[in-house]
Amino acid sequence: MVLEATMICIDNSEWMRNGDYSPSRFQALADAVNLICGAKTQSNPENTVGVLTMAGKGVRVLVTPTSDLGKILACMHGLEVGGEMNLAAGIQVAQLALKHRQNKKQQQRIIVFAGSPVKHEKKLLEMIGRKLKKNSVALDIVNFGEDDEGKTEKLEALLAAVNNNETSHIVNVPPGPNALSDVLISTPIFTGDGEGGSGFAAAAAAAAAGGVSGFDFGVDPNLDPELALALRVSMEEERARQEAAAKKAAEEASKQEKGGEQSSSQDATMTERAGVATSDADNKTTDLTDDENALLQQALAMSMDDPATNNDVRDTDMSEAAAEDPELALALQLSVQDGTKDSAGQSDMSKLLADQSFVSSILASLPGVDPNDPSVKDLLASMQSQSEPQKKNDDKGPNEDEKQ
Amino acid sequence: MACLHDHSCEEHDCSSDWSLYKHIDLTKVSALNEATTGSVKSVFKAWEQRLNSSGDFLESNEGDPELLVFIPFTSDVKIKGISIVGGADGTSPSKMRAFINRDGIDFSDAQSMQAVQEWELVENIQGVLEYQTRYSKFQSVANITLHFPENFGGDTTQIHYIGFKGEATQLKRDVVATIVYELTPNPSDHKTKAEGGGGLSHVGK
Repeated sequence: MVLEATMICIDNSEWMRNGDYSPSRFQALADAVNLICGAKTQSNPENTVGVLTMAGKGVRVLVTPTSDLGKILACMHGLEVGGEMNLAAGIQVAQLALKHRQNKKQQQRIIVFAGSPVKHEKKLLEMIGRKLKKNSVALDIVNFGEDDEGKTEKLEALLAAVNNNETSHIVNVPPGPNALSDVLISTPIFTGDGEGGSGFAAAAAAAAAGGVSGFDFGVDPNLDPELALALRVSMEEERARQEAAAKKAAEEASKQEKGGEQSSSQDATMTERAGVATSDADNKTTDLTDDENALLQQALAMSMDDPATNNDVRDTDMSEAAAEDPELALALQLSVQDGTKDSAGQSDMSKLLADQSFVSSILASLPGVDPNDPSVKDLLASMQSQSEPQKKNDDKGPNEDEKQ
Repeated sequence: MACLHDHSCEEHDCSSDWSLYKHIDLTKVSALNEATTGSVKSVFKAWEQRLNSSGDFLESNEGDPELLVFIPFTSDVKIKGISIVGGADGTSPSKMRAFINRDGIDFSDAQSMQAVQEWELVENIQGVLEYQTRYSKFQSVANITLHFPENFGGDTTQIHYIGFKGEATQLKRDVVATIVYELTPNPSDHKTKAEGGGGLSHVGK
């Protein structure tokens, strides 16, 4: 989380029209710049980032170091490709822009994207590097695109002149299927000199690596919110469907002791599981209602493959919770089924209510209600009469038996 | 502008004179063109330890003898004299320029700006030389920047000790920490004369 002012030097010369990085070198570059700006501003809110172009009609500062991400993204839009890159002038102008930064406490850093051949002499670049080092400016070089003889050597010499205690880096990105931004995510340019980096960079790196990620479904919500949301919703629906099936099985075995205590114990298990989940999951689930909370917790815990919590225990808790709240289970069930099945859903609902044993268990769970109380039985009878005719016949039989 | 200690140090305790190092804000001390980041903090120590550089001293980068040291104090100080102990073999600085109360000076600024005072230094391995300041200009110093542009021919410049002689005031030159701005005026805070007794002052109560 080092406080830093960064100037990004963009190569918008003719060489950037080439398509060896998809979709074009310049597009890949623009994506990488956007990613870097986001990472820098997120790692420390007081960080500032500025952008300048090195080719075109000449070195031009597009935006002076600012922490306003919108401004930076806006200026990247509508850039034109043309001319020849002037690396030396670009770095010197960047140094000047950093010198006049508003907050003198920020460390100075320049990030250079060198996609076209470097026409300067190695000596000149070394001199520039020494001047940067003297004024304690760090330099990151992204060497991609054109690879003529001597370019890599010159850039390495520049880096050696600037490097002070490993604060400066060079990254060589060969053309290939991987996007420029993906390759850069795992480099020290993003992770900030191995200090542990920002949460953004670390999470993005994990997501790109495709391995265990700190996020729900291996997708960073910051990078792709729609995809993350879609995955989460589909996971919830799957959960709900499985819950309805499990609930039916558990319904038979539902005991009368499960009452108000169950809901409070359910809350306890909920919070316990919340403690187990990562802080990211916590932030997400606190926004949800309690109904979704239970399902999402399970989805999260399962996706994280957390060995600390017992899968079986969770499933049982879930089915008990679902059994406890028949309307919830049915509502979920209804939501996943087709509209054509609505009538069936309706009858399911009334079937449940008409189910004598189930209703009496519910009533027993309510404090202060005695199922043997005649007034309660009368109420039950009236409820039964409201159910559908075919069910009424079946249920009234056992109902009347019990009444007697 | 150099003067030698012409008394033996048993009579009075020199270290108490050179005690301004206690008022230096070491966390914010920085230097430009130092070979090892953070090595500048080791040059501020007590008078007795000025010759005892147990490995840690300020050295510039190879082939570049310029050094720029920024020293903030925890409170405003008055500086009477400065002592510098350099390195051997021509690595001692030969010139010193001072800037007062300026933040964020770098080499191009230092070279173009007029310094508050400049000194020609001599090699001072034993640390008995003191360079006097024009005291009237060094009355309320919150931070001082020392620029050493040249040395005696060595490849690098080494500084083992920087000492300040003077006294510390209790004044602080901090920025205002907490300000409460009014978004809307609160009438109770602004009693006008009309409300407060119709123009009569409360002097003769």
